[in-house]
Amino acid sequence: MVTIDLRRRSDTVTPSVSQPAGRRRTRRVGTSVANTVAVVFAVVMAFPAYWMINTAFKPPNEVLTFTPHFWPEHPTLQNFLSAVKAPLFLIDLRNSLVITISAVLAALVVGFLGALAVARFRFYGRKALILVVLTVQMVPFIALLIPLFLMMNAVELTNTLPGVIAVYAVLILPYTVWTLRGFIANVPRELDEAALIDGCSRWQTFTRVILPLTGPGLVATSIYGFIQAWNEFIIVNTLNNAPEKQNLMTWLINNQTQRQTFWGPLMAGAIITSVPVVIFFMAIQKNIAAGLTAGAVKG
Amino acid sequence: MTITAPDIEPARTDSEDGPLGAPPPRRRRGWDRFTPYALIIPAVVLLLTLLAYPVYRMITVSLQKYEQPQLWGTRPPEWIGLSNYTKLFKDPTFWSAVEHMVMFTAVSVLLSVLLGLSVALLMRRVSNWARYTMTVAMMLVWAMPQLVSTQVFAWMVDADFGVVNWLIDQIPGVDFSKHSWFADPIQGWGVITAVVLWQGLPFLAITLYAGLSQVPQELIEAATVDGASAWQVFRAVTLPILRPLIGIVTTLSVIWNFQLFTQVWVLRYAKPEAEYQTLTTYAWQQAFNNGKYGYGSVVAIVTVLLMLGVMAFYIRQMFKIGDQD
Repeated sequence: MVTIDLRRRSDTVTPSVSQPAGRRRTRRVGTSVANTVAVVFAVVMAFPAYWMINTAFKPPNEVLTFTPHFWPEHPTLQNFLSAVKAPLFLIDLRNSLVITISAVLAALVVGFLGALAVARFRFYGRKALILVVLTVQMVPFIALLIPLFLMMNAVELTNTLPGVIAVYAVLILPYTVWTLRGFIANVPRELDEAALIDGCSRWQTFTRVILPLTGPGLVATSIYGFIQAWNEFIIVNTLNNAPEKQNLMTWLINNQTQRQTFWGPLMAGAIITSVPVVIFFMAIQKNIAAGLTAGAVKG
Repeated sequence: MTITAPDIEPARTDSEDGPLGAPPPRRRRGWDRFTPYALIIPAVVLLLTLLAYPVYRMITVSLQKYEQPQLWGTRPPEWIGLSNYTKLFKDPTFWSAVEHMVMFTAVSVLLSVLLGLSVALLMRRVSNWARYTMTVAMMLVWAMPQLVSTQVFAWMVDADFGVVNWLIDQIPGVDFSKHSWFADPIQGWGVITAVVLWQGLPFLAITLYAGLSQVPQELIEAATVDGASAWQVFRAVTLPILRPLIGIVTTLSVIWNFQLFTQVWVLRYAKPEAEYQTLTTYAWQQAFNNGKYGYGSVVAIVTVLLMLGVMAFYIRQMFKIGDQD
């Protein structure tokens, strides 16, 4: 504990705006030292991303060199072409899109209804539902993979897209309910009541008041769901081992082998895979930074 | 930030249904009380079939001998009681995986939170342009898919052509050419920890930075005026206010890091050796490489049980928020 010397209070009633010159100078020196540390930190953080881009634009003979080339001397799009032309890349890209968009839409519809109930109604089992939603976000989904695989196998949904879509929808559902609940709760209840008094039915209140006002929330939530589903690879890799039923993430995994990895095309594929996610992430970064500690889970 | 705000909801003694907080509507329709139930049906059905049932199934399978013949239905599952569990407690690979995870989680969470806090404090201290640069770099890291950034690290620590070996090799008197990082488990886990730290730092630093901006400036000024040093201000003013938030991010980091899978999976080329086995990779391998679904389920169940205490703490914190509005 710090004990602050009380005796000094009397002689500093008015805050000393003008600090001694020496102190000001050390503060300025301190800031430039801090700025230098900040720049070094930023460089270290950004280095892997830079290295990925650097590798992707190099011709093969510049990738495997004992002295690394820090920029491509003969920049080329060859790696991107060979990634796109590689077997399964376009199929997996299509699968990624189908799986992600379907799962997000399903979770959004189901989640919005659930969030509406939790935010606007008090009903028997409400607390239990909140508890389940919160718990589910914590449970390692890998643990559930074994029974999920057995179930999907029993109903012959392994190696199909609908099987994966259903699992992904459940994976993002808790977050969707939890976040949308917050957005709906932020719509003043007085608006609902005003609409009801003005003669709106419950359904009209929903379509004309709540839905338009939670629009931005729906967009942010679906983008976050998109990122989660797009980045997932363990579930799809387990349920669907047929390569033509997998997604882009598994394409990346399958192309990284201990015997020989073609890092150039792999990094190009990684860039193509990352671009949608990075763009979406930047679009909602404010929500993510604020929302994570308010009950979300990292993707 | 309303993280630990107390439950301020007034006790409701009237009917449990109807719009929250609103006076009972005058023209109350009979089906109004059923509306919430109708709304949650789809969500409940999904959660029951793909979540509750799998949990039940996982527990039953853990009590069975369930392997390839049972999967293909050529032989019925055989109830074997707790023998999968007793086998687990005699399994040295399981115990070494527990050891890895406890060590890794302790070290990585401690380092993450300390580093995150230092970066957050640094962000308060630097000029605007420097803070902006830091934020952009961290956002980039945060946005990259975990799998992709781990693959980039796998490439960077490649024994023959990796840039990391070359960089270290530049230090005079150090020979790091063709250094294999995963030959020695300590070094290998060092690489894994570094990747996890690098990936997790943006979340920690930016969240803690947001928390730091919530600390009332007057309190800091008052303490400074009273002659407290920067360290004293941090210890006596900033840290106590930040403590709940630090608690939350520490809990989340423990939960995430204990489930470590992707990083090991990618860095060990989908076949982690015994020295790099985590609890989740071990469960996965037992089930899907060795076809021992019953035994794999036991590993998964014990993993969840080991995390339960931390999870309960987090859920209690979050429940306070969820119940509030």
